[in-house]
Amino acid sequence: MIWIIALLGAAALFAFSVRKRLALVGTVTLSALAVAIAFVIALPMDATGAVLDLPWRMSELGRLAAVVLLGTLCLLVLAVWVEEPAYNFFPTALVVAAAVLAVLVLTTPIAIYAALLLGLLVPVGSFTFQVHRNRSAEAAYRHFSFVALGGCLGMAALALSASLGRDQPPGTFVLLVVILVVAFALKLAAIPFHTHAALLASEVPAPALALYFGVLVPTTFIAFAQILVLSGLLPAIVEIGKVQDLLLGLGLTSALGGAFLATGSTELRRVAVYSVIANLGQSLVGIATLSGPGIIGAMAIALVTGLAATQQLLAAGTLERRAGADRPSATTAPLAALAFVVGGFAMVGAPPLVAFPGHFFVELIAYSYSGWLGTALVIATLGVLVAQLRAAMAVFQATPDRWRIEQRPIAGIVGGLVFFALLIGGLQPDGFLRPIAAFADEFLRALHPL
Amino acid sequence: MLLLAIVAVTTLAANSARQLRYMAVAFFGVSLAAHLIDDGTLAVSQILISACAALVASAILFVAARDRRFGEDPGWRLWLATIVAAATTAAAFAFLRPETGDEINTNLLGPDPSGVTTEVAAFWLLSSGIAILLTARGAVRGSLGALLMLTGTQLLVRMMPGPELALTLLLSWLQVVVALAGAFLIVNQRAAREA
Repeated sequence: MIWIIALLGAAALFAFSVRKRLALVGTVTLSALAVAIAFVIALPMDATGAVLDLPWRMSELGRLAAVVLLGTLCLLVLAVWVEEPAYNFFPTALVVAAAVLAVLVLTTPIAIYAALLLGLLVPVGSFTFQVHRNRSAEAAYRHFSFVALGGCLGMAALALSASLGRDQPPGTFVLLVVILVVAFALKLAAIPFHTHAALLASEVPAPALALYFGVLVPTTFIAFAQILVLSGLLPAIVEIGKVQDLLLGLGLTSALGGAFLATGSTELRRVAVYSVIANLGQSLVGIATLSGPGIIGAMAIALVTGLAATQQLLAAGTLERRAGADRPSATTAPLAALAFVVGGFAMVGAPPLVAFPGHFFVELIAYSYSGWLGTALVIATLGVLVAQLRAAMAVFQATPDRWRIEQRPIAGIVGGLVFFALLIGGLQPDGFLRPIAAFADEFLRALHPL
Repeated sequence: MLLLAIVAVTTLAANSARQLRYMAVAFFGVSLAAHLIDDGTLAVSQILISACAALVASAILFVAARDRRFGEDPGWRLWLATIVAAATTAAAFAFLRPETGDEINTNLLGPDPSGVTTEVAAFWLLSSGIAILLTARGAVRGSLGALLMLTGTQLLVRMMPGPELALTLLLSWLQVVVALAGAFLIVNQRAAREA
């Protein structure tokens, strides 16, 4: 495994050195990502190893998430290569791929955290563009600050909890777990820690935004769940209900707040970004229920939301660019508009897409937890639905005499590929949900160690 | 204890510096002193790796400054950051210090196997970093805050059991990436301001 991460790192260095030769850098980036995906698929399940005494393991969830996230990266690279060449994007995508793989296979919490921070910091270079004309440098700086603050706080809390004996007062562990949860909330842009995400949504290039919300945010969520399992802090969370309440509160605030903000947004990118925040809120609620269906639903929502975010943000970027100074409209890029709309189906968890089981599980378990919690999540989903419908109606407001497919309809093609992948997943959900269920088993075992 | 005092003084020097280049040099001093604090588990290889990373991070910030006058005036932020850091360090030490029942035995120059010096230095760097990062107006002080926090985190990670060399390497790489991202932001913010 270390060789494939090293290969991605080396490919990133090479891509950086030839970043202005588009054909070469595009080919190298896509080839390296394809090799990494093939290697992950070919690796035996539960393969293990160690690098400098740092253990790694390819779990079922790790394999599924790696294929989904590296596949998303491939689509993003393809879109940038064909439609919106941005030289820094190719090496960034390769470093992010290496960091994502490291996060998914490492089994030491601090190492997972450090790899995650590397992945979150690298896109700073892709966030900034034409700094004289916009606030992308400020948006990138805010992202940097949030990641550094949340990252160092979280790692410090983990290091302290690992060095303390288990006979410490419960208050100490509560404080450390609260710091860890807040640290992840900062990186997940959970409300009320979402101000950097709002600025990113309006200022940075669409592919870079898709890289963040489509690949890195789901990776952060998976890392959070893995770190909870591996750090041994879960029993403390069960014993002290306050932490569970904090997670539920954060999740619920994000779900409702994200849906509310999405409903009020008129920009396509903001609708997509706030829908992601709302869905991650639902995922946090799923984790906070500390139940099998809740955990399965949470992880499924996080992964599918990443795919839908990629689909919608690329489409939004294309629509905005083609519209110029006017409002984005389907008349200028009908396939991209269609991709945005079908991305909305995945965002709300509509059947028969594979997005449905995740939402269904989390809302079901929320109802069994308490009636008002389930109702609040359903209201949040309805809010996202309204926001997506408003955005779709705004995009398709004007109809031309004759529909004409845009030139180089890469956003539409990416949207179509993602839609069919989600549809196939929805028709045979077992293949998607079984690896997540295996992780949920590990989570529950860590919750009640014998 | 002497190294702890050096960490405190150089942190204040970095925090109060108006020029990025002085800030970078002071940060190197902070980092070097922090990594040399001996809690009885120090390995030469780890010190070398951490010191190299600190040197590279400082050099990156030094080069990003481009001229000796460029920087950010801390103004009232210096005092706020110092007071907050001092108060938070004391609070963190009171709440998060392990209850081992061991006798705390510190001395001026020798090693401190109880780990008290390392912990105080870590809490001081973390709280200084947070205070600087939260009050920063731009990437200059933001980068310093992030690097100080990371140095504090490195000290805490050093105290936990596990694959020490691998974690030292990983965190050193992270420090270099933080410095690179910070330098990139400094250059871009400067370009945007001067346009």
